[in-house]
Amino acid sequence: MSGKEFFVNRYEKLGWKFVDATPRQAIRMNLTNAKGKNLKERLRKVGVSLEKIPFLESGYWVSESQVSVGATTEYLLGLYSIQEAAAQIPATLFADLKGKKVLDACAAPGGKTVQLADLMGNSGLIVALDVDRKRLAALANHLERCHISNTIVYQLDARQASKLKIKFDRILVDAPCSGNFAADKNWFKRRTIADVERNAQLQREILAEAATCLSYEGEIVYSTCSLEPEENEVNMDWAVKHLHLQIEEINCPGQEGLTNVFGKKLDGSVAKCRRIWPGETQGFFVCKLKRVGKR
Amino acid sequence: MKFASQLGARFALNAEFVVNRDGRYFLLNEALRKVVCKGFYYAGTYLGKVKNGKFFPSFNLLAMLAKSDANKVIVDRQAAWLFTCGRDIFKKGIVAVYGSRKKGAHTLVLNEFGECLGFGRIVCSLDGGIRDAEVVVKNILDVGDFLRREVYV
Repeated sequence: MSGKEFFVNRYEKLGWKFVDATPRQAIRMNLTNAKGKNLKERLRKVGVSLEKIPFLESGYWVSESQVSVGATTEYLLGLYSIQEAAAQIPATLFADLKGKKVLDACAAPGGKTVQLADLMGNSGLIVALDVDRKRLAALANHLERCHISNTIVYQLDARQASKLKIKFDRILVDAPCSGNFAADKNWFKRRTIADVERNAQLQREILAEAATCLSYEGEIVYSTCSLEPEENEVNMDWAVKHLHLQIEEINCPGQEGLTNVFGKKLDGSVAKCRRIWPGETQGFFVCKLKRVGKR
Repeated sequence: MKFASQLGARFALNAEFVVNRDGRYFLLNEALRKVVCKGFYYAGTYLGKVKNGKFFPSFNLLAMLAKSDANKVIVDRQAAWLFTCGRDIFKKGIVAVYGSRKKGAHTLVLNEFGECLGFGRIVCSLDGGIRDAEVVVKNILDVGDFLRREVYV
């Protein structure tokens, strides 16, 4: 069970008519570093035109660029990061990050870690985990370039996060996922439903571990760039039923989470999740969860 | 710190907050020091690494030193861009000099906005009598290094 036709049929059954999409390039200003630096004007002078992304405080579309936005002096000085627009959403959904203990469970290559640190003004603590050592090098470069000072990085599988013996106020689970066709032009050739099911299981294991590391009244933001409901709504339904978590309202673009997936009825609160079908952004899914009672 | 003194800076860090991981040095704050475990990969502010007995500073450390009394040259826009691409600095690109002007001294290189782009070594005295097209600061490290070392984007 694979191939473009198979997946496109699934999307139609979920209520979305397939359109080929190429996400627009986006950057995110690192406000801690760029404060008072008139970054937009500086970039305009080197041939980069920006357009504010309406649903993000510090996100901009790159509307025109005569240079590579990954090679300007401003980029190298950490004044901004290149970050796809939908991928900028999860970190902004946490309430009050300043001074908190935050876990970035699947952190590399570090775009969201740096964004969290920026939102925290380099205060508090971020623990960033990733299992792949090669990807940790990219994460470390990103942290150095953006002058991040509140983060500790471990090479550790997110499913073993409780080994750290820290209770976190905020946990970002930007879970490893099957991805989507808008971000990977060979996606339909490479992916099968077996990949989706394998990833969904891994995501549940990571979520379960995250729930054990969550402090009383803590928050988890779960996100994937997968369009497959097994990795998204179905997992959130499972989390509500098995992990003493409840889904919170969020204010961000996207359609309501599906509560009926191929005939299977899910918990009604799953509608509070947000599903973004590809268009100007890649495909994305995001959900905010909160602990129910003390565990 | 020996490296800071090479740049003419009076600069010290609290050794209790500096940790070494496989030759890489990090500066922690109080919150991080309380929770950091053995075996971390990266922590706090990366200061630099020692390889074959030689210290290679991070850009975080250079930015910290740029706020101190370290030697500095401010360069114009074109010189800043060329320096970021790994090139040396010509006399004509220098806008201002702070600290040592002597041949052999190490100096930070800052752009017109006062942002540290890296550091280099003064290869001929900045005290005058030099032609505009002569190299005066040899590039040792510049922020373009992030592109040269990057594995993943």
